Amino acid sequence: MNIQEQHITFNKQTLILNNQRTIFWPKQNTLILSDLHLGKAAHFRKHGIPIPSDTSSRDLQRLAALIDHYQAGNILVVGDLIHAGVNQEVLLLAAFKQKYADLNFHLVLGNHDRKVEKLAKQIDLIYHNDKFELEQISFIHEPIIAPSAFTISGHIHPGVSIKLPPNKHLRLPCFWVSAQQIILPAFSKFTGLDSRKMPPEYDCYALHDEIILPLKNS
Amino acid sequence: MSQKIIHSEGFKIVNRYFESLGNTPFGFQVKTWDRYMLGYSGMVIAPTGFGKTFSVFMAVLIDYMNHPERYQKGLKLLWITPLRSLAKDLARAMQTAIDDIGLDWIVQVRNGDTDPKIRAQQTKAMPDILLVTPESLHLLLAQKQRDKYFRNIRCITVDEWHELIGNKRGVMVELALSYLKYKYKDLQIWGITATIGNLDQAMDVLLPAAKKSVQIIAKEKKKIAIRSIYPDKVELLPWAGHLGGNLVNQVVPIILESKSTILFTNTRSQSELWYQLLLQAHPDFAGQIALHHSSVDAHIREWIEENLSSGKLKAVVSTSSLDLGVDFKPVDTVIQIGSSKGVARFMQRAGRSGHSPFETSIIYFVPTHSLELVEVAALKEAVKTQTIENRDPMIQSFDVLVQFMVTIALGGGFQSTELHQIVARTHAFHYMEDEEWQWCMYFITAGGKIGKRYEEFHKVVQDNDGNWIIKNRRIALLHRLNIGAIVGDAMMRVKFLSGGYIGMIEEYFISKLKKGERFNLAGRILELVMVKDMTVFVKNSSGKAITPSWLGGRLPLSSNLSHFLRKKLAEAISPDNTEKELRFLAPLIQKQQSLSAVPGESQFLVEHIKTREGHHLFFYPLEGRLIHEVMAALIAYRISKRYPISFSMAMNDYGFELYSDKEIQLDQAQLTEVLSRENLMEDVISSINAAEMASRKFRDIAVISGLVIQNYPGTQQNNKSLQASSGIIFRVLMDHDPDNLLLKQAFTEVFNQQLEEYRLIKAFERINNSQIIYTFAEEYTPLSFPIKVDSLRQSLSSEALIERIQRMEHANKSKRGRRK
Repeated sequence: MNIQEQHITFNKQTLILNNQRTIFWPKQNTLILSDLHLGKAAHFRKHGIPIPSDTSSRDLQRLAALIDHYQAGNILVVGDLIHAGVNQEVLLLAAFKQKYADLNFHLVLGNHDRKVEKLAKQIDLIYHNDKFELEQISFIHEPIIAPSAFTISGHIHPGVSIKLPPNKHLRLPCFWVSAQQIILPAFSKFTGLDSRKMPPEYDCYALHDEIILPLKNS
Repeated sequence: MSQKIIHSEGFKIVNRYFESLGNTPFGFQVKTWDRYMLGYSGMVIAPTGFGKTFSVFMAVLIDYMNHPERYQKGLKLLWITPLRSLAKDLARAMQTAIDDIGLDWIVQVRNGDTDPKIRAQQTKAMPDILLVTPESLHLLLAQKQRDKYFRNIRCITVDEWHELIGNKRGVMVELALSYLKYKYKDLQIWGITATIGNLDQAMDVLLPAAKKSVQIIAKEKKKIAIRSIYPDKVELLPWAGHLGGNLVNQVVPIILESKSTILFTNTRSQSELWYQLLLQAHPDFAGQIALHHSSVDAHIREWIEENLSSGKLKAVVSTSSLDLGVDFKPVDTVIQIGSSKGVARFMQRAGRSGHSPFETSIIYFVPTHSLELVEVAALKEAVKTQTIENRDPMIQSFDVLVQFMVTIALGGGFQSTELHQIVARTHAFHYMEDEEWQWCMYFITAGGKIGKRYEEFHKVVQDNDGNWIIKNRRIALLHRLNIGAIVGDAMMRVKFLSGGYIGMIEEYFISKLKKGERFNLAGRILELVMVKDMTVFVKNSSGKAITPSWLGGRLPLSSNLSHFLRKKLAEAISPDNTEKELRFLAPLIQKQQSLSAVPGESQFLVEHIKTREGHHLFFYPLEGRLIHEVMAALIAYRISKRYPISFSMAMNDYGFELYSDKEIQLDQAQLTEVLSRENLMEDVISSINAAEMASRKFRDIAVISGLVIQNYPGTQQNNKSLQASSGIIFRVLMDHDPDNLLLKQAFTEVFNQQLEEYRLIKAFERINNSQIIYTFAEEYTPLSFPIKVDSLRQSLSSEALIERIQRMEHANKSKRGRRK
């Protein structure tokens, strides 16, 4: 896996944004991500829509590779860890957790994270109902418009449409970063993108398999 | 008449009925009655207005009156029509005839609009004749009592078969027919169609293994008169597109002199525009004219159709939404705005006026730019020679097949080998391999990647007898709600803030609008207030507004018409006396000839034009916009292989442009190489993004095959968790399941429909056999100008556009001035 990075300073903290849709926070030794939507493919299959399960296992492989790369001791999912209840694919997490027994696994609950209590016990998940705070940075699943404090959120699956001359468009997932707020891209690759126009106060970091591309808002 | 039938009692009764109406049966009707009595299946080919309905319908009645013992209680005749709106009036006409003859048969309609009470009643006891759409027929097959419904069926008629054969709804019909024919061996199947180029094939597709089948062609022909509307003078540089609106002042008197008029346009945006134009030109039209297209609310459309029938509307501006359907008796004039893109469509539209069999249908042609007058000349010749397009049947549509398999599973189940046999008998799946059938079985029973069996997947399961059935009620419900092969763009409802529904609009268009911006819909000017839950809230407004450009509104030019266009353009240089249109264009053609050249029939013209903005290459294959899109990408790719250069492209139905701000180095020999037939498809594949095109084709496939769910029961919140765009699913399958048959289908459809591989190869063969004429000019020629204008339109608002065109025209003029 090719990991490309951009260092930014947010509330005086150095954060590393990477093209694999996560943030690594060196001082806290924490990997931050959002919208894993585990079990989505299985949920589709349950309703008669045949989607292969590799999407889930690949997402988890990517997560494992990132933990190994950064030697992260903590992982923080800013909501929507699972897609629709606990199913076979969600149980892949148990095996994952066994491999990383010492890892602290935090979850700020998102709108999709229903019925996680049992799962929490099973895999030693520490979950937080509305928000989680660390060094005056709040982690909240759904972004607040013009937050009063420094916040990091997910939920909207931000994307950006890049124009390639003469008339092609490429849609990529991205981070939105303002002075007060970071919106994380969806970690899972089996998710859509919201490429509506970004508000002017944000900068954007477009993500691709090979690069992370900072785009100033103009 | 030598037919046996005329001595039968049933015939005499029906003949008396015809006499009581002051008619006599047409020859083709009697022949149909006779062959039906002898047990034949077949296909009737007759123009609209000549009683083609009564050919097959009366055949069944006569046969019943002659042999009542052959008919049992319940459904006897199933009538499939492509249009819902058609069914109601047809049923009424049939019932009237039955009542007048004095039989006790009941005719009913069953489709999405049918009252639930009547539907429940039908479930208990079917009427004698049932009119359905392909979708509602499949819904009947998805019911457990299906055998009870069809047990005593004698005949299935497919009306307007030409409208179905070329698309996936036709495949739905093929599958249903094959299934019913297998179950009920004595069934007679009849098709009714307008003339198309491939009638024999159309019959083979409808009746793939019929032992006794017959084609009955009416001798009667509909007369068509084509009249062009000429602008006051020839614009030497013809503008393209809606700018032809300046002819509205000539259109108004035609409408005023007629009883009732239909104006056909090609796109919804053009229809919105012409509606406004007519109102501006003649304000008294307010309340007397209406706008009819597929984005207008269905109730309003119905109201329009009723008032057109009763003669209360003076004119209706419409798109292909009124191409088909019941006859509007008062309509005596049809006006076609801009190219009709095909001979068959043009004739069909013409036929909407002058209904009684021997009346002449009059159609006026309003060119949107003067070059389109060449097309009138082409149409006249095509109509005269009756050269009508083929409608090619679709094959290997696995999306429709898996949907059908689930449908059959739902209505009581199937045995795999048996259903395989039934499917393989259709034309559409005649070439299906055993592995492909296995894959489809796998797709509906195992879920996901081949070779894996997922335990949560229970779509189609096997019962103790080895029958494949559906047990899960939610899956059953979702499937029933999503049966069909018509996939719309993501549409949003448009409503007034104060309540009141106006119509539907593409999400794509709305996503580009800001709050407070105004747009046209259904003939109104609306201001966007807010968007919430797939509903656009608006309020009435006035002033300048944007007309939505609906996606997919561009009809391809038929290869048939292309052929005649090239011919007429070649003839335009010295037109025959009878060619009024071409003679009118003489000044324009002469200008083209003096600046560049007018391509002859065995010539291919390429223009190299240098202007202040940069360098342009114009090519004129006259093959239609879709093919030109592919050709432009290909030629740009081939030139850029010689040396690095990038182009922007523009195209219309006549030709395409490559534009660069740098000098284009290309001599005659190199040009010939660039246009070579060699390595054609290889280069095409390198020049386009096939995956991206396939991803777009996959949209329909995903919906039809059930990968993307379009309709959900009620408005339950948890539906959200099942939403994924076809784009995401396409990506997931490309990454994790590249052997998925539906992906392959998407690529095949790109090659057959988007790239039109066959037609593209033919076009290059023709070009390679032509003399290539390569001319150089320093100003736009009459042929190149509309293409240039069209390319500007894509990026500019219309006022700014008009200014820029005027500047360009001005520049052209002043350049000539300087030279003098």
